[in-house]
Amino acid sequence: DRAPAGPSVHIHNGILQVRSLNYDDPPGLVEKTDFLLRDWIGIYHSQPSGRDSTKAFSLFVHQMNVHGILKTDDLITRFFRLSTQLCVEAVYRNVTDTSSSMTVIRAKCYHTLDPFVRLIALLVKHSGDTNNTTTKIHLLNKVLGIVAGCLLQDHEQRNIEFQQLPYHRIFIMLFLELCSPEPVLEAINFQVLTAYCHTLHILRPSKAAGFCYAWLELISHRVFIGRMLAITPQQKGWNMYAQLLIDLFKYLAPFLRNAELAKPVTMLYKGTLRVLLVLLHDFPEFLCDYHYGFCDVIPPNCIQMRNLILSAFPRNMRLPDPFTPNLKVDVLQEITYSPRVLTNFASLITPPQFKKDLDSYLKARAPVTFLSELRGNLQISNEPGMRYNIPLMNALVMYVGTQAIAYIRSKSLTPNMSTIAHSAHMDIFQNLAVDLDTEGRYLFLNAVANQLRYPNSHTHYFSCTLLYLFAEANTEAIQEQITRVLLERLIVNRPHPWGLLITFIELIKNPSYKFWNHEFVHCAPEIEKLFESVARSCMVQKTT
Amino acid sequence: GVAPLGAVPLQKEHQQQFQMMESAFFHMPHPSDSERLRSYLPRNPYHTPPYYVQTPLPHSDTLEFYQRLATETLFFVFYYMEGTKAQYLAAKALKKQSWRFHTKYMMWFQRHEEPKIINEEYEQGTYIYFDYEKWGQRKKEGFTFEYKYLEDRDLN
Repeated sequence: DRAPAGPSVHIHNGILQVRSLNYDDPPGLVEKTDFLLRDWIGIYHSQPSGRDSTKAFSLFVHQMNVHGILKTDDLITRFFRLSTQLCVEAVYRNVTDTSSSMTVIRAKCYHTLDPFVRLIALLVKHSGDTNNTTTKIHLLNKVLGIVAGCLLQDHEQRNIEFQQLPYHRIFIMLFLELCSPEPVLEAINFQVLTAYCHTLHILRPSKAAGFCYAWLELISHRVFIGRMLAITPQQKGWNMYAQLLIDLFKYLAPFLRNAELAKPVTMLYKGTLRVLLVLLHDFPEFLCDYHYGFCDVIPPNCIQMRNLILSAFPRNMRLPDPFTPNLKVDVLQEITYSPRVLTNFASLITPPQFKKDLDSYLKARAPVTFLSELRGNLQISNEPGMRYNIPLMNALVMYVGTQAIAYIRSKSLTPNMSTIAHSAHMDIFQNLAVDLDTEGRYLFLNAVANQLRYPNSHTHYFSCTLLYLFAEANTEAIQEQITRVLLERLIVNRPHPWGLLITFIELIKNPSYKFWNHEFVHCAPEIEKLFESVARSCMVQKTT
Repeated sequence: GVAPLGAVPLQKEHQQQFQMMESAFFHMPHPSDSERLRSYLPRNPYHTPPYYVQTPLPHSDTLEFYQRLATETLFFVFYYMEGTKAQYLAAKALKKQSWRFHTKYMMWFQRHEEPKIINEEYEQGTYIYFDYEKWGQRKKEGFTFEYKYLEDRDLN
């Protein structure tokens, strides 16, 4: 992690306090905390409307004062840490009780956790003056840090005995409390969201794998998604939410790439697909804007997962049916507009010298050695399956493509099958297609196919590029791989990105590609049948 | 599944992560973990045969649906599903059927006839009310409904 700055500094302080102050509390503090916490739980459960009673709360704050808890910041944080630990201990005691049913056990756990959550919420709400948002947010960040710190410590110490329940309940219930419709809370809502995102990022599955299911529940909770993506104005929550999804994809990647899914992985994967479906349905623009960053971390074999992201398109857009006979993509108004890409992919082209050489090659179309050295710049090992720097490949393809579009437009032309040819940009793509080995070419073609989405300038450019590479290929192996990359994205269940369908239909329909004459189309009866069925569904007559 | 780039053995770090995830898999979060405590009707997931209805009817979370429910059902929802949208909809449906909530007795009242007296502070007459302890409707003659106990929050 980078050195904490801004709002997360208090979260990190909270975590550090759990780690460092352990077991040297002033004498009697544990007992005091225990006494106060029990007292509060009693108050919370005794009066019918006591939960909302400000009178009971002020009496309790007075109690805390009497016991000296509120004297210093240090004592307050110790109080929160000890309270969290006491609540967590109570949960562990309950879950080991084999004589009760799970329903009763859960009710007992909630009985302890809910009042603690309410106490935190009230203390945050009432700390400082009504208009003093800073104090409230500092306190919240600190408490979240303390709970996170307790979680990490517990996770480390108890190992496979770790329970997600207490932390899950504290986080979600506190979040719901802090999202109540009250002016004091509404004023700090964005900072609450920020605090939660920082905390959840710190607790990402790669850091606390035993918490991963609860973590996914937290980030996919309807209120959380609603606040992050819909209610907060100016899409201010989008970036933070995208980061959490990237955390999830990154964690899943090593387990998914081998395609041997054990039950625990399948469960998390299914949950991830569900979240993506919700996002595709309710927030397609969000998936559109962050598709690049997501595709960068999703393993190449996760075809459906990526299709979910690539199929997203802005809701105000009507996509022409790809199966329309004689559909003229070139005349669509939409293909002149660039999509929004919220990842700075140019900065991902490293080292700086490589970026410099790339830019000068794009400008001068020389020296040719740039092309011959390209492969060496992308390759990072000789280990099969891990030879290439995938993020660099993706960034290179995207950057060269966008530069190409700008270059063609600078000549007052529009990208099409002839304008994209014979340029420094196409040199690079053709060189990658010819010079890379099977693995590298697969990654390269995937990077291109990741841009085949809804009608926009990138989709159009990369669609033409892929077809051009097919037409100009000097070996059938390249054509076979292009076909493979397209086909494997189409034979999975829906959804299928629009640009992908358009490109594939063009390939099999347009006689100039002589698609059906290629040997790989007829290499095996089941492959041949597959092509025929895809062709049928694309409504073309097989040219024999 | 497919692994076009070939399988890569999991690194030690990922093996450890898998172990933690696997143990978490055996105590998955429960739906009630992220819900307010339901004192009377806790969630109790149970595998039911697929030929039974698995999901509630469509639009069963609308006021129109609640207005079609029996009064007793509405009372049940009101008293046993505290703090939920269902309770809110039940209260709304009851109000639409001219039931009024008495905040002191915590019971629902309906005029049995035109009140004998109506003034600024109260009305008096014969009422039907729902007794949640005996669980049934009762009639009360000469009852004074003080308006200060009338729940009159706008439920819209």
